Amino acid sequence: MNSYLIQTESRLGWKLMAPSVAVIVLLIVYPILYNIYLSFFDVKLTGTKAFIGVANYKKLILDGAFYSSLLTTTIYLAGTVIGTTALGLLVALLMNLRFPLRNIVRTIILLPYFAPVISVVFGWQFIFDPVNGIYNHMVVDVLKLTPVRHNLIGNPKTALLVVIIFDIWKHFPISYLLILAKLQSIDKQQYEAAAIDGCGPIARFFYITLPELYFVLGTVVILRLIWNLNKFEDVFLLAPNVQTLPIYTYYTAFTGIIDQGLAASISVVQFLFLSFLIFFYVKKVLKW
Amino acid sequence: MKKNMIAFIATTLILLVFGKNSVFSTTIEFWTTETQSDRLKTIQLLMDTFQALNSGIGVKLVPVDENDMPSLMAAASAAGKLPAVIEASSELLLAFGEEGILNIEDTTKLVMQIGKNRFFEGALKMVETPLFGSFYGLPYHGWVQGIWHRGDWFQMAGLDPPATWEAILKAARAFYKPKNNQYGILIGTKAETYAEQCFTHFALSNGASAFNANGELTFNSPKMLETLEFYAELAKYNPPGPQTWRARDYYLQGKLAMFFYSTYIMDDLALAEVAAGSLTDENFPQLGSGTFDPQLVDNTRVAPTITHIQPAGYGAIVALGLVNQGDKAKNDAARRLVAFLYEPNSYITFLHMAPGGMNPMLRDIARMPEYLNDPKGIFKRYGREKIEEIISGLDNMGSFTIVRGKTFPEAGKIYAKQIIPRMIYAVTIGGMAPKEALAWAEKQMKKVIGK
Repeated sequence: MNSYLIQTESRLGWKLMAPSVAVIVLLIVYPILYNIYLSFFDVKLTGTKAFIGVANYKKLILDGAFYSSLLTTTIYLAGTVIGTTALGLLVALLMNLRFPLRNIVRTIILLPYFAPVISVVFGWQFIFDPVNGIYNHMVVDVLKLTPVRHNLIGNPKTALLVVIIFDIWKHFPISYLLILAKLQSIDKQQYEAAAIDGCGPIARFFYITLPELYFVLGTVVILRLIWNLNKFEDVFLLAPNVQTLPIYTYYTAFTGIIDQGLAASISVVQFLFLSFLIFFYVKKVLKW
Repeated sequence: MKKNMIAFIATTLILLVFGKNSVFSTTIEFWTTETQSDRLKTIQLLMDTFQALNSGIGVKLVPVDENDMPSLMAAASAAGKLPAVIEASSELLLAFGEEGILNIEDTTKLVMQIGKNRFFEGALKMVETPLFGSFYGLPYHGWVQGIWHRGDWFQMAGLDPPATWEAILKAARAFYKPKNNQYGILIGTKAETYAEQCFTHFALSNGASAFNANGELTFNSPKMLETLEFYAELAKYNPPGPQTWRARDYYLQGKLAMFFYSTYIMDDLALAEVAAGSLTDENFPQLGSGTFDPQLVDNTRVAPTITHIQPAGYGAIVALGLVNQGDKAKNDAARRLVAFLYEPNSYITFLHMAPGGMNPMLRDIARMPEYLNDPKGIFKRYGREKIEEIISGLDNMGSFTIVRGKTFPEAGKIYAKQIIPRMIYAVTIGGMAPKEALAWAEKQMKKVIGK
């Protein structure tokens, strides 16, 4: 190809990309940069700002609530990422077997993922209602496991667990979908050959299935990490007393002693934390 | 061709952005804390009537949860999109007034125009600025709080009505039977406004206040500590976990002996269908609990005054606030809207959304036969005298914002930051020691008022 053609083609390429680049710059790059800028200011609600250097970050380092929120986030991330991946893998393995009505079951499994968050959250709150909920009815009246009723969502000690289980239940279908797609493309001959060599089902899983799934599992984990570190609505709607980083940021920015500069610095830290997590994961764990 | 295309896109965009306003020359926003859909319908009807009577003015009605109002106002302020009229508790108006976003001059003029002497004095006091004779907002409706309880249960158990600290605690203990899924009392323990409302009632009865007469913050006092300790003890007889006013459903199901509530409950109690619409056997037959009891209204009593070292009543005023728009046409439109809402027909329509709950702030309206003849027949059921007794309570109720006739707008700021609800949550659910929580709360309050 001559240079003229290359030039026109690259110009066309830029023209085609321009609208999406403009949208990304406007809606993503600009807010991120503005947020970093804000984190060095004391922001008043009237719109006035005073430059205070790294004072917001200093304040953050000395804030006990920030560390407790960081710990909550870590537990939440670990629980949900491992939970959704493991459950997704298990269900995908099951759904890869042949059985009657398999297609219908495969569709039904996706339901929690489709359902709107707000309606599912209300459902879960009804289930765990301390006085009228079906959970307490089962545990206290039917199975008689404890004599008195508990408010699992209201109690900050158990709320985190409920939120983790909720997320696993709601989001495992996406991991299941990705894993199942890969499972279906694994060459059957590999299993036959391994079976001839004397491998049982467990050995076949560890020597064929798992290595084949390596990259899909890696992708699932990375996606779940990104989504869940930034997750707000599921946690906030179900149990606003579980303070993961995004929720802690919200409380700092909009409630109580409003401190939007400090909130901006929490977002920056969250952004750096996520970037580091992904870098570490890709380079050290996946070795991509 | 290219130019035509650009012109077309530009015109479409302009139409999309500005087109919706083209019908009215001035459009203002009205934020209301009445978020229930049936109430919104009534308010929308009032807005439509106003628009029909005032051509050129458009009103956009926006429902806002009471607890979200401060954060949404903060966001709107930052975006330069403040509503022109807000309907919110007097405490929030004091807070917004302190932030300097309210149009105090127009508000005061409007109070005079409607007639200062027509307002209940106690109500007007709640929205007065520290400069006597000017106002942050216009009192629109108000409610009185009390402990609503099962008169029949109290009688059978031989217990005194819950009017003193001792009687309340004794009854809460007696009726707390968690093994039977029955609870002694409902007080707010979730970090929401309801918790502060219950707590304030106790604090006032113990002579504890947030400020002294000199305007110094005296929140962390032995009397407040005593109140908080008592409150934490009482919370042990609550249904499990953090609770808010929504748990009043448990009372309607016969699973609760006492609960703090405003006069709004008159509406709910008298109308069995309201109760049937909540969590009952009709909706969940498998739960095996009692159905709605038609005798509940007759068996329900109220104790509006709590006495410890002094008798105390508590209630709240919901007021209309004019938010400065920086635009004369919009400010005028807002003033006309508020004046319209005080006209007898629109006012009574508004109040009849919750008879007993929303009580008028103008003396003459309270006596009007049209007002006392509500469509649901609730006033007839309770009788005119009872209603007048409740309304008269509005003239002498206490609050943290007023100390000896002087208003402290700083208290409104503290209210808006929900410091007291968070303190209550920390103690009753988080297990923090009352002493420690009180010190934390006072520290936060000092930050808020900048002292």
